[in-house]
Amino acid sequence: MIRLLSVTALLIATPVWAQGHPARDSTPRDTTPPAAAFGVTEYRQARQKLEQDMQRDGFSVYIIADMEGLAGAVRNATEMRPVSRGGSPQHERFRQELTDEVNALIAGARSAGATQFIVNEGHGGTLFRNILVDRLDPEAILIRGYPKPIVMSTGMNPMVDAMMIVGAHANAGSPGVISHNFAFDSFTVNGKPLNEAGIAAFIGGEMGVPLALASGDDVLTRETLEMLGALETVTTKTAFSRSAAAVLPPATVHRLLRQAGVRAVRRVKAGELRPLKMETPYQVRFCLRRSFTEDDWVRTTVGRLNGVSAIGGPGCFSYTSESAEAVGNLLNEVEWTVLKP
Amino acid sequence: MRPFLVPALLCLASLLHAQNPPPSSAPFRDKQVPHEPGFRVFIVPDMEGMGSAVDIHEVIAGNEGERYKELTGPDYWDRFRLLLTREVNATIRGARGAGARSFVVNEGHGGNLFANVLPWELDSSAILVRGFPKPLVMVTGIDSSFGTLMFTGAHANAGSPGVLAHNFAFDTFTVNGKALNEVGINALIAGELGVSVSLVSGDDVLIDETKTMLPNGFVAIVTKRAVGRSAAITYSPAKVRRMLQNGAADAVKRELRGDFKPFTMERPYRVEFALRRTFADSIVQAVAGLQEFKLERKGDRHFSYVTGSARQMGWLLDAIEEAVLR
Repeated sequence: MIRLLSVTALLIATPVWAQGHPARDSTPRDTTPPAAAFGVTEYRQARQKLEQDMQRDGFSVYIIADMEGLAGAVRNATEMRPVSRGGSPQHERFRQELTDEVNALIAGARSAGATQFIVNEGHGGTLFRNILVDRLDPEAILIRGYPKPIVMSTGMNPMVDAMMIVGAHANAGSPGVISHNFAFDSFTVNGKPLNEAGIAAFIGGEMGVPLALASGDDVLTRETLEMLGALETVTTKTAFSRSAAAVLPPATVHRLLRQAGVRAVRRVKAGELRPLKMETPYQVRFCLRRSFTEDDWVRTTVGRLNGVSAIGGPGCFSYTSESAEAVGNLLNEVEWTVLKP
Repeated sequence: MRPFLVPALLCLASLLHAQNPPPSSAPFRDKQVPHEPGFRVFIVPDMEGMGSAVDIHEVIAGNEGERYKELTGPDYWDRFRLLLTREVNATIRGARGAGARSFVVNEGHGGNLFANVLPWELDSSAILVRGFPKPLVMVTGIDSSFGTLMFTGAHANAGSPGVLAHNFAFDTFTVNGKALNEVGINALIAGELGVSVSLVSGDDVLIDETKTMLPNGFVAIVTKRAVGRSAAITYSPAKVRRMLQNGAADAVKRELRGDFKPFTMERPYRVEFALRRTFADSIVQAVAGLQEFKLERKGDRHFSYVTGSARQMGWLLDAIEEAVLR
């Protein structure tokens, strides 16, 4: 997802009278817990709610739908956010492209025997409401809106058989198209750098769910393959800068996604694609994005989060946990802290 | 009804007030919708609880007042009003299949000032009540000739963890000590006329709370599961329409069998409500000054009101809206 977009998005979602927020400074700010401020229910409750819709048998696929890695997409300002959030009407065309790519993936997975499809909106451009609801495969369950618990892994549970991420982007600091990673300049678990796809794989992996497919630019597919060892990838474009790429024709990308969806399901069934397991306790180290690091209040507040301690380097912290879900909740709290006006 | 509409209308009204005060709906209280033969269904479509909708952008047209201009986009409310109309059509289709013959649809959602359903796309046998103000707000036009009442796209009560949860202009609203959400309040007005609720659709929070509120039962359609105030696990619009069609057929069949009873409470009704914390003092003063209703002020924004008529309580709701507008 795009962090900067969700900043804008959240400010607009906030009541109008709260929008005239002061510039970031070191004065004390409202630190009401997110649940009270935004009405987000507990992550576990979201998971239980999704579990009520899960098939007891069959093969369930959980698809995270991001946008930066879509066929054709190169420019954040015009293509990744709608007019109402300071973007342009071109965003509408990419909403259709996103819907088409998710549908292609579903069609492929279905033909290999997948029977249930859960799609989780992973892109902040339209406040996690990018997919055109009436054009999405009618059998899919769609998780949409913001805020929602563990934005990119809402409802993830052990009954899911395979995770896939479409339209993904490369890690913060990498030479990929619109590359970034939540609110971080770096994020590692046990010393291993994880991008957004990797973090989703880590949270799902603990529940025994493998990340079976990722699509995006060449930087994203290469780094994710290195991160996870084995998974299906679809390279939709070759990055030439953070906002330029040689893009494949969308129709070609749809065909590649269908084919890769088939292979991904087959390989999970054959036991070839394994969940990402890491040793516990998980030693998490992260450095906030530079722009947040310069904000005294953000740095202090993140440092005060339960279990978080400052380490060397400005805006760098460590966190130790036995549970990947707890790490997911930490992501939420960091997000909310940096978003607070 | 929209939670944020009242302040929106306030802005609008203050602009118009000098030359053109808002019309009162009082002279229209005794009017009726045209009578039609056969089993009659009264449908109240709201938007917050409809399939797929999770965000204020999707249920606000942007013309409700200055503050709402930015809260919509060409792709949001417009797209959702078509989905809304299709949900109503699916409900009508199901009810017709089970023997219903007459349909009145009363806009229950304040977006675009109670004009969300597309008249040209609506089932051609339905009479549509649209616009604002209207004497009984969400049940304007209901009378004892109706066989059943259905709420689609309803939302959970103010203060609950439902998608876009709210309750008219109130933080709390109780009758005889019992908390009522918008469905409950309107069910009571209809219940007094002998009309029972047979179908309610909305998110899981709305359905759970309404089941405890209305003890006489109804066909419940969970259109989505809330995972935040603006986020939900949602289903395909086509699937929601199928659920509504099947649910409405079931609702009419069970209504004809006598499964449902009108929702009634002991009279006189002791109504207590708290106006929203976010309202300006001037609004509270205006409500306190309502002459027609003998409101007793119990606290800063708390009022109590005793009446023998739920219909009159409905007029009070409209009067509060109008007081808020002035």
